[in-house]
Amino acid sequence: MATLKELAQRPDRFTGGHRACAGCAAPIAVRQVMAALDPEIPVVTANATGCLEVTTTIYPFTAWKGSYIHCAFGNAAATLSGVESAYQSLKRQGKIPDRPIKFVAFGGDGGTYDIGFQSLSGAMERGHDLVYICYDNGAYANTGIQRSSATPRGASTTTSPAGKVIAGKPQPRKDLTAIMAAHNIPYVAQASVSHYMDLFRKVEKAFAVEGPAFINIMAPCRLTWGTPPEETVDIAREAVESCFWPLYEVVDGVWKLTYKPRQKTSFIDWMKRQARFRHLFKPEPKTEILEELQAEVDKRWEQLLARVETEK
Amino acid sequence: MERRLMKGNEAIGEAAIAAGCRYFFGYPITPQNELPEYMARRLPEVGGVYLQAESEVSAINMVYGAAGAGARVMTSSSSPGISLKQEGLSYIAGAELPCVVVNMVRGGPGLGGIQPAQSDYFQATKGGGHGDYHLLVLAPASVQELVNLVREAFDLADKYRNPVMILGDGVLGQMMEPVTIADPVPVASLPAKPWATTGAQDRPANLINSLYIDPLELSAHNAKLIAKYERMAREELRFERYCADDAEILLVAYGITARICRTVVDLGRQAGLKLGLFRPISLFPFPYAPLADLIAEVGVNKVICVEMSAGQLVEDVRLAVEGRVPTVLYGYPGGVVPLPAEILSRIKGEGGANGVRRS
Repeated sequence: MATLKELAQRPDRFTGGHRACAGCAAPIAVRQVMAALDPEIPVVTANATGCLEVTTTIYPFTAWKGSYIHCAFGNAAATLSGVESAYQSLKRQGKIPDRPIKFVAFGGDGGTYDIGFQSLSGAMERGHDLVYICYDNGAYANTGIQRSSATPRGASTTTSPAGKVIAGKPQPRKDLTAIMAAHNIPYVAQASVSHYMDLFRKVEKAFAVEGPAFINIMAPCRLTWGTPPEETVDIAREAVESCFWPLYEVVDGVWKLTYKPRQKTSFIDWMKRQARFRHLFKPEPKTEILEELQAEVDKRWEQLLARVETEK
Repeated sequence: MERRLMKGNEAIGEAAIAAGCRYFFGYPITPQNELPEYMARRLPEVGGVYLQAESEVSAINMVYGAAGAGARVMTSSSSPGISLKQEGLSYIAGAELPCVVVNMVRGGPGLGGIQPAQSDYFQATKGGGHGDYHLLVLAPASVQELVNLVREAFDLADKYRNPVMILGDGVLGQMMEPVTIADPVPVASLPAKPWATTGAQDRPANLINSLYIDPLELSAHNAKLIAKYERMAREELRFERYCADDAEILLVAYGITARICRTVVDLGRQAGLKLGLFRPISLFPFPYAPLADLIAEVGVNKVICVEMSAGQLVEDVRLAVEGRVPTVLYGYPGGVVPLPAEILSRIKGEGGANGVRRS
């Protein structure tokens, strides 16, 4: 395992000069993921349509140093399945040198939880040797902040607008990481841009296993969340500290917490910092809803703790 | 209703609600996001339902379900998303269900761009999905016409029990113009749909289906659909002529391009050129005979087809012209909106070419 000092000296596979917003967590996540891989090993990247693809590959420029393939919104896992299959076949036939090449797909939550879910599930079940990374910012940010199935309950988006009657998105978010764990693949993890060593370790493991791996990364979008750009990493940290976004991994079916907050912070306080939840606090706090949302986070956290405990 | 300034995409939403539409199934894609966003805001206020699907494939199948239940229902998207809806549209056409689908076209193929284009003409008018079917396709050229045609589209969908497509483009969806939206239709006064699956307690069961295993049965079903499209061709031709009565050079264009061509006609006439414009409003059924009649009637000696695509509309124009006069294409694919002066200089023989971006 590389140390932080070693990681910092690795040449960037994902460079600056892209057009992501100031304070966007997606490029932070990608840079950390790409740096976690041994610089001697080439990596092929597939990227679903979305903010990341749009801001990093404005023709004729690119922020990606290695091989890169863009595909439709819902197809990153399928496209990379094709690339990986062709590679394995060519290698078997002796048409390309037998040396390690890694495969990674990036998709946002819209392209992963929603429209890309079917192709992701298929790729995982077929057992391709690839890593799928979801950068989760809880909305379709590229098209103007519409709700996705990763949008937390209560958040206001352009298609789940908060009004006098409806308090933002009525449904709770989909627990995609757990769903991916149910695919019984070698490695599944949940990580955050705020806990970078934890994220590095997880990416190293994901690339090391043979077969499919999935990592879901908390990557706040300041436009979606309504937070100052300089607070991106901090608000991601608080998502972890409040146990809304627990850091854990599932290795060959065994669940393990990789970080346990010393003092669990208030989920309500976390929401209060974000404009997408403003309607829950102003003009006066909607205590009943806020407590329900807090209780939901608490319940899921307790369930996770119980699960981790029994599998110790 | 009072005249007000509205963005094309939002005006569609309000016009649909005024037409009695209470069900909208959406999915994000630029440049049509303002429409699902408007519906997400407005439909709950009028007792309707806005649902965001997890993909365009799901959205169109939600439309299939709601249409089968007898609802006035709508979805919208832009080019790549409309491609994903094709399977569902084929089922809806096969099962003879009414619905309205809006396509705010952007440049392609592939992910293409997000600038306005007309390159989905073939897909919209020639079927698009699998099997022998057609959508009824209407192409507005202003926000007001967009509003009027949305109202009409729901009635036509019911009349023919067939999906109707509003074929717009990124300009129409994004631009703001003053519009008047006709008074709302009371939902209770909408025509009955005795074929809908609404619960068969006191009547024989209705069947909504596009599966016919016996080739003879499927053939008969196809014949019924074809008869319907032939009826559309008789009853639903819509077009506009502008300065066409003495035109020597006739421009043919639809949608926003026709709007630009009106200016070309005006500029050309000022310069002594006898230009005219023929604007198809219904793209399926295409007004072949009215265009052919016009050419025969007024002694047009050249037809110029102007489209924001690489040569799609021109095929239907040539079918109408049948070689009687030379027909040329001014094609502007890829999201390039031609300028009137640019078209005019080509007419004058001062240069310009298909697919070439102006500097």
